[in-house]
Amino acid sequence: MVAKIELQRVREWGWLRGFSNLFRKEHQAWWGTRRWWINGLAWTLILGGLVANMLFIPTLTNLASPEEVNAAGGAQSYAIQMGLSVFFEFGVQVVAIGAIILTQDALIDGRISGVTEWVLSKPVARRAYLIAKLIANLLYMSLFLVLLPAMVVYGLLYLHSTEPYPLFPFLTGVGLMLLHLFFYMTLTLMLGAFFNTRAPVLAISMGILLGGGILGSLVKPLLSITPWMLAQIASGAASQTPLPGSLIWPPVVATAVWCVLFVLITLFKFERTEF
Amino acid sequence: MNKPETNVIATYELGKSYGKIQALESVSLNVQRNSIFGFLGPNGAGKTTLMKTLLGLVRPTSGSATIFGYDIVTDSVTIRERIGYLPQQPRFIDYMTARENLLFIARFFFSGREQMLRQRCDEMLALVGLEEKADRSIKGFSGGEKQRLGIAMAQVNYPDLLILDEPASALDPLGRHEVLSIMDRLRKHTTIFYSTHILDDVQRISDTVAILSRGQLVASGPIEQILNGKDGVDYTLAVKGHPELLEARLAALAWVKNVRAIYRDDSTIWHISVSDENAAEAGLLRHILEDKRIVVTEFSRKKYELEEVFMEIVKGGSHGSQD
Repeated sequence: MVAKIELQRVREWGWLRGFSNLFRKEHQAWWGTRRWWINGLAWTLILGGLVANMLFIPTLTNLASPEEVNAAGGAQSYAIQMGLSVFFEFGVQVVAIGAIILTQDALIDGRISGVTEWVLSKPVARRAYLIAKLIANLLYMSLFLVLLPAMVVYGLLYLHSTEPYPLFPFLTGVGLMLLHLFFYMTLTLMLGAFFNTRAPVLAISMGILLGGGILGSLVKPLLSITPWMLAQIASGAASQTPLPGSLIWPPVVATAVWCVLFVLITLFKFERTEF
Repeated sequence: MNKPETNVIATYELGKSYGKIQALESVSLNVQRNSIFGFLGPNGAGKTTLMKTLLGLVRPTSGSATIFGYDIVTDSVTIRERIGYLPQQPRFIDYMTARENLLFIARFFFSGREQMLRQRCDEMLALVGLEEKADRSIKGFSGGEKQRLGIAMAQVNYPDLLILDEPASALDPLGRHEVLSIMDRLRKHTTIFYSTHILDDVQRISDTVAILSRGQLVASGPIEQILNGKDGVDYTLAVKGHPELLEARLAALAWVKNVRAIYRDDSTIWHISVSDENAAEAGLLRHILEDKRIVVTEFSRKKYELEEVFMEIVKGGSHGSQD
């Protein structure tokens, strides 16, 4: 048909074909809906609230034994340690649950509803489809589930001690928290490429997250090749507790490798999926 | 590889199996430019599988196919650049309005100024009569409106080929009429390859038809050819009098394949199948009228309804040509 309006053809080719439009859509799925403020508010309130509770309610510090308080370097330091522990140890797990819930239907929903089939009938590279989802979700989950609450928590620490908390250790903890989030996000995304229903995706991801600690305590070497130690490492790094490098690096590197592997497997599987 | 585009779609022994289930079996067909190609078959015949295979959503397990001369497996993205596709149940991004959905699809094909893209989308909305609902949420759309919007989306890139999977099957008579009218309006601009099991629709707007049954292409060709029958033409003759000798005389003609008589009270209805249409046109009635002991009360070429042909083919007969 002769076009009445002369428009410029899209110039993306190869695996990038369709990426910018798909990324725009994923961006809109966060910012054009209630998703951004619900997540921004919920995670900040949950994590910030728990840390504030530890920092500003003296009853909790009073429950500690004098030895514990002295070991931490006084009541104020003890409260900070508890706050960091709650944010990094408990927060890492909670945020991973959030990542699993938010990612579980990233691929399945589109496949069930037929939207993926519809989109892929356009001049779109499958890799572009997947990478747009991955980048948008990594970006906005990092922002709303980790970075925004982390900023609030850092502010609370400042308010509590009236001087800035050392930035580098805190950021190290936040980085490890992000790595932990990436692991569960990429794992869930990969499972979504293999299963057609949410139940097995949720069950396996949650099983690995919640059962990991138990399994790790039974089979110690597993702790070196999984993210199950990351919460403690993040908490230790943030509270400046000296930890041996041999304990820190193996799980950190292994988790990063797992993330890359999950993404590659997802790409491989998605390229071969029929709709 | 850019081959000359005599056929928009050409499949060669195309097959798709899921384990032991053969969804498509050696399907070879050609769809010519600017035709409305109706693809018929009962539910589960493999129509959607064929369409998805052509679009690169499903990988063939045997054979090959080209669209615009490009291979459907290796050049899928290039092919999809020039195709518009309407799935059986059109899907939309539910948090977007009709116009936003259209814009989303348009951006897969075009870049540049937003204003120009919006103008293109408005054109498409006007084509399907949805201008007034452009900024409404998809959630409130009726089935017919969704189908029309789906057609607008399939047409937004001014495709050289429209692939429509059951475009009217889920609609009420009014919705069907609207969708068929849109298809009719588009026929001069593009090639339309569509599947359906509504035979009336095919007979109304298609110029070429293929029939798929249990994954196999059992007939294909121009609709007149399918309706006339593959192996020749049938005539119906009603006579009164004494036709006893007539049957033998007709059967002796070289181009008469079969003569079947149904006797009624005072007349006989004959069904005469011929293999040479021209010879029959020139000589059949003359031969009959030579018999002075009969009176011809009716003589006509038998007109098949598509439903009749379809039922016969799907149950095992054959019409049209197998490409």
